[in-house]
Amino acid sequence: MSMLQYLKNTVRSRSIHVAYVNVGSCNGCDIEILACLSPRYDIEQYGIYVHNNPREADVLLITGAFSSQWEDKLKPLWDKIPHPKVAVAIGNCPISGCVFNRPETLVDPPVSKHIPIAAEIPGCPPRPTEIISTILSLAPIIFKDYEETKK
Amino acid sequence: MLSFIYYIREFLRPKWITTFFTARTPPLTTPPYFRDFPELTDKECTHCLACMMICPAPEAIIVTQHEGVWRPEITKGHCIRCGLCIEACPEDVLASGRILAYKKEEELTLQGTFHIEINQSTCMGCGNCSVACPVNREIDPALRSSGTSTSDEVIMRIDTGQNKVLHEEKCTGCKTCEDNCSNKAIRVARVVEALQGGEE
Amino acid sequence: MKKTVDVSLPVGPMHPCFKEPCRIKCETRGEYVLSAEVELGYVKKGIERIMRGRPWQEVMFLAERVCGICSVIHNFVFIEAVENISGIVPTERAAFLRVIVNELDRMQSHLLANYSYCYTIEHETLAMYLLNLRETVMDQLELITGARVTCAYIIPGGVRSDLSAEDAERLRSALDHIDAELSRFIRIFETGPLIALRSKGVGILTKEAAIEAHAVGPTARASGIDNDQRSTHPTYKALGFSPIIRQEADNYARIMVRFEEVFQSTGLIRSALAALKEGPIRGGGTIKAGSIKYRNEAPRGELLYELTTDDYGRILEIAIQTPSIPNIQVCAHEMLIDAQSAADITSIFISSDPCIACTER
Repeated sequence: MSMLQYLKNTVRSRSIHVAYVNVGSCNGCDIEILACLSPRYDIEQYGIYVHNNPREADVLLITGAFSSQWEDKLKPLWDKIPHPKVAVAIGNCPISGCVFNRPETLVDPPVSKHIPIAAEIPGCPPRPTEIISTILSLAPIIFKDYEETKK
Repeated sequence: MLSFIYYIREFLRPKWITTFFTARTPPLTTPPYFRDFPELTDKECTHCLACMMICPAPEAIIVTQHEGVWRPEITKGHCIRCGLCIEACPEDVLASGRILAYKKEEELTLQGTFHIEINQSTCMGCGNCSVACPVNREIDPALRSSGTSTSDEVIMRIDTGQNKVLHEEKCTGCKTCEDNCSNKAIRVARVVEALQGGEE
Repeated sequence: MKKTVDVSLPVGPMHPCFKEPCRIKCETRGEYVLSAEVELGYVKKGIERIMRGRPWQEVMFLAERVCGICSVIHNFVFIEAVENISGIVPTERAAFLRVIVNELDRMQSHLLANYSYCYTIEHETLAMYLLNLRETVMDQLELITGARVTCAYIIPGGVRSDLSAEDAERLRSALDHIDAELSRFIRIFETGPLIALRSKGVGILTKEAAIEAHAVGPTARASGIDNDQRSTHPTYKALGFSPIIRQEADNYARIMVRFEEVFQSTGLIRSALAALKEGPIRGGGTIKAGSIKYRNEAPRGELLYELTTDDYGRILEIAIQTPSIPNIQVCAHEMLIDAQSAADITSIFISSDPCIACTER
């Protein structure tokens, strides 16, 4: 890895852009992500910026137990995110389907069937502190060995 | 113009200025009263399966035996941290947040009666439920894989190709039979009551 | 033929202003909105199908997860519905504790709704102030119930845990803090000229249209309709509840109704704390067979549970009518029409506080 690439990676790992997508959650995890924005937790002081544009994101936060509407939508969305990228499953729903994973349900968990999941945060819903610390611990890993390929 | 003055007044408040210059985010801590994933205390589990009975999430808690000792195991990613297992456990094996302290202090209990219902038109008599039932296995370890048993003490057994319930009162409501039935023919109705104090 | 529609403008399903996926399709001429349609179905989970054949201790958690923002009221209404079927009366202390937790939940929901609105009209300072104030409310919820969002506090015959005198004191001081801070934020909202430009006279919902379309909750109360199910609830009656009504019928009125209801909630919690007597918090009782229609006021409006139980306390049939269903329709068919600019579409939609997870379940 060249020196320049190393420098780029180090700088990038300190400014992470996050997009979140709700694939059939109950809102609980979404408002806990929203609570991370509040001055109490202040996610931006760690260099994490939340905005809902997958084309600029490094980390995709997934909440929800995967309803059938998203079957043809989540994969294209994942492909739109530039490399390097990771997806984080927030809450029980993307991991196991939570209480919705029962007979007669309309959801189809887990999300890892559709896109690769790098980290999981269990809890229904997880606390904002748990969300922030997971993203922070992921940050150095995403960019560690990344090398740009020339076209 | 009015709002301009208003904003200046807002930013000249002593409290605003002090917080602006001394702002510090509190460290990422979890308060002690937060209801986290249940943790084991040093009490001994008696394999009464009350935690599995009350658990609202599928596959979240299971009581397993390790070297002769029964122990409840929580699956993270399935557990929804509701804390009902802590309230239901009669031996105080699990603890989380302040629930255990509350439960002891105010004598809170959850008690249930159970009723096994078998839909005979969909039951195939495969015996999966009788074999899977943890109470059955304890009473009659010689229970065969077809679900037949020579013991009259088991909760249910396969008799002449059909599942017969013998001792409904021994059921602990753990739902293992429901999970193992391939036809959804067996249902356990759990009538749970939330009580306080020693009376009733 | 003369062309009247220029652009068919889709908003969503992923939009920075929406917390949840939903798509608004607008027919516009220039930026002027001619008609709008809301397309839903992105978070359908089939909760009512899962609920059938399950006892209260499982349905209670499923009911909470109908909506993560207003989870306490779903728990509250479901438990009171099964209690009414089986003739269980909660203990007096438990009834007041329920009101306290429910009002705390309403406060955080209203603050979140107003945060979203301020964020949508790009007044981020006020939005962050409100979001930080909401954390204070969340702390109180966590203090009482042990969880921030899905509290699982109310069970048949009572509540899960008691409120100690020490915690009640912390709750009182937090209420004073909220009152003091919030009156400042309301002054910012009332006097801000840019906020007035984006809010006053935008998204008009006349009283006649609101009645015709069955608007509920703050959306209806901002149009001058006296519609609050809490005024029929016995515990709220004992606390002397009267609904808040405004007549302006625009975005500004809807947000102000929510602000005033937060004040009302702190008042209700104070009087509930004063009325709290020592006593048991659980009365026991098992669920019996029967069927009922039970309603109460969720933060977004009237919430209706219609359910049938069997002899062993299992839910046989259940139907949930959540407040966002009529409100989203009112928003699409009445409020969004004649919006002067495309930027107003999101702010009008957010001002009716839509909850997509509630709507689709």
